[in-house]
Amino acid sequence: MGKVKALVVDDSKIMRSAVKRALDQLMLAEFEYVEAMDGQDALDKFSNEIEIMFVDWNMPNMTGVEFSKAIREMGDNDHIPIIMVTAEKSMGKVDKALNEGGANEYITKPFTADKMYQTISRYFDDDGNIVGEEEEEEEKSFFKSILKS
Amino acid sequence: MIPKSLEDVKEIPVEIVDLVKESVINTFTSICGDNPVYIPDSGKSGPVNGVIGNIAVFNPDHTLSLMIVIPKDTAISLSEIFVGMELPFESDDMGDLVGEISNILAGDVAANVETVGFRGQSSLPTATRGSDLTLFMPNKPPTEEMKFSGSTGEFWVNMALTESK
Repeated sequence: MGKVKALVVDDSKIMRSAVKRALDQLMLAEFEYVEAMDGQDALDKFSNEIEIMFVDWNMPNMTGVEFSKAIREMGDNDHIPIIMVTAEKSMGKVDKALNEGGANEYITKPFTADKMYQTISRYFDDDGNIVGEEEEEEEKSFFKSILKS
Repeated sequence: MIPKSLEDVKEIPVEIVDLVKESVINTFTSICGDNPVYIPDSGKSGPVNGVIGNIAVFNPDHTLSLMIVIPKDTAISLSEIFVGMELPFESDDMGDLVGEISNILAGDVAANVETVGFRGQSSLPTATRGSDLTLFMPNKPPTEEMKFSGSTGEFWVNMALTESK
């Protein structure tokens, strides 16, 4: 089982640690972390090896939504799950992150390990690998066809 | 609900005060796991040895400034719950922690005050650490101070409502 490379973006070192600690507790996978302190820093550190991203909203230089939008606009990145981890709670903000920013999921701070598990477990298979949206659909179709036969 | 001009307004509208109070209780309950108790008529926080987290929820018309006054002992207890270990009071991480708590509170306040028509966004938080810290309000805007007590100790939340410049 290889390590899943996760990009954790937050201007608070304490929160980056909290995200990493929660992910390690979940035992969904073995993670290797790349940390960034704002959206611009995250863009600089982004590479094709990143498999999942945890992104704060309210950061200096470039917000999480601006970063997510920039990543999606780069192309060929739609399969990488972007999880917004933010203190912003209003429904308008959730809509903006998911629709305008292209994030897949939204978690509000402070979060529990349970909440994190509920939100991200569907992106991992039993071997600790990331399952993209397409693979997830393929798996569902495969099981449906088995059930039909 | 909020007067367009605050020049002659002496107090923050009670609806806003109540919603901020609710947000403080929500925020600290979700961080600490127990309900902090609001202590009415408790007087001013006075000079404090601790950390003050500053953040604002603002729109083009109005700015709601929030200042969380956290005494040293409360800050250390909070760090144990939030981080899982006591952070040194003098460390950068302590400022980071109080900034993050301010950020979480502002997110809740912003969502809460939307229900009474105050649509705003949060600023970035800052934190100030020291002894004999006293809050000043230049130009005497409408302000409100609330004291709370919880499992981590006492803390205060001050707010000021001003016109955005």
